[in-house]
Amino acid sequence: MGSESNLVSTLRALAAQQGVEPTDEDLRGVLDFLERILPALAEIEERLPPEAAP
Amino acid sequence: MSLDPFNAFLHRVEAGGDWRVGVKDVIDVAGMPTTAASKVLERVPDRDAECVARLRTAGAAIAGKLNTHEFAFGALTNSPHFGPALNPWDPARTTGGSSGGSGAAVAAGLVDLALGTDTAGSIRIPAALCGVTGHRPTVGLVPVGGVVPVAWTLDAVGPLARTAAECRRALEIMAGRELPLEAPRRVGLVTRLFEGADPAVAAACEEAARALWPDAEPVVLPLHEEISTITQLVMLPEAAAVHLPWLRTRLADYGPDVRARALAGLLLPATAHVTGLRARSWVRSLWERELGDFDLLVAPAMPIVAPRLDAIPPDYRLLIMPYHSPAALLGLPVTVVPCGFVEGLPVALSLTGRAGEDGVALAAAEAFQRETDWHRFEPGGGELYTNPVSSDERG
Repeated sequence: MGSESNLVSTLRALAAQQGVEPTDEDLRGVLDFLERILPALAEIEERLPPEAAP
Repeated sequence: MSLDPFNAFLHRVEAGGDWRVGVKDVIDVAGMPTTAASKVLERVPDRDAECVARLRTAGAAIAGKLNTHEFAFGALTNSPHFGPALNPWDPARTTGGSSGGSGAAVAAGLVDLALGTDTAGSIRIPAALCGVTGHRPTVGLVPVGGVVPVAWTLDAVGPLARTAAECRRALEIMAGRELPLEAPRRVGLVTRLFEGADPAVAAACEEAARALWPDAEPVVLPLHEEISTITQLVMLPEAAAVHLPWLRTRLADYGPDVRARALAGLLLPATAHVTGLRARSWVRSLWERELGDFDLLVAPAMPIVAPRLDAIPPDYRLLIMPYHSPAALLGLPVTVVPCGFVEGLPVALSLTGRAGEDGVALAAAEAFQRETDWHRFEPGGGELYTNPVSSDERG
């Protein structure tokens, strides 16, 4: 993981590519959320049966 | 027109007739502003949402637009732009949300029926905290044309009223067909949700459930630990897609919590939504295998009574998500019925049916309300309410 400021910069760039310009405070909140949900997402991805289709 | 001390309405008109219906302000009513309790949206539609049009044809007098969590995207009804809806049982407490104006208006007797929407609990939470009956329909049963979406694959429009019979009447009109009322044959108690609730709430719910369904069997929901996360994976990217045009142009006009959720959906990896949809299929297949024989699941509708507005628990959303995410993720019908009081505040049961079997949940709720009086209590110690729709009205 990079430093928080690097991660916030990365998120800012991703948002900008979609035409959205959040504040750093907004992005720190998103970062907190992502740090909680991404490990859970990875765990679900690992456990998903391959035949599970959308 | 009576006063609105609970900030239930965002727009109110004199409603004649004897069936006063309030409409959550994410649902279009011709000639009335739709704001979604936001600063971002203000449209005055020239036609009713389909569900409203059907009710109007059946005699509904539209009484106005009801308060909501901003864009129906949260569980409190505390829009920074319009102020919080206040709980008629104690105005210092939240109504819950997002259909909090709907819950407050029915509880206070300002309307006979209110329309709400439920993406991940937004009818069930205010019904429970305001001591009224609410029904989240099977996804797809009620048309959503003219309704501001939260997440397309999860959203449902449904009724809140004093009784399950009144909810059924409205639901049948909105769905355009009668719902077969069938008594449940096999009832499960979701033990984890009783164990996770405040002990006094759990005790009231268990006593109520055991009185009517003494043979109910304990059940465990498959992947219950994961379902809240999976629901977020589906809901947040869909919501971000709904809001993207406004995120580009009006981001600063959102309240902080809704802005944060919409941005989170925008910045999740692209695979998150697909993983959420695949995981939903996985949950559905396990659910059918393990719980397919159960046609009713009973649990506390909320683990706590309505919190004070100035003391919302920091983990409020995490606390309540296991109670509402399973039916949201799978699009299941749920009827919420008042089942007691704890420290003078209402508590409620949730009755979850199988997809497409709304009539089973509603039949169970009507049976419960024939045996109990909890739905007849009014805030402020008013007189017991008399149900104008008898349960055998359909003959």
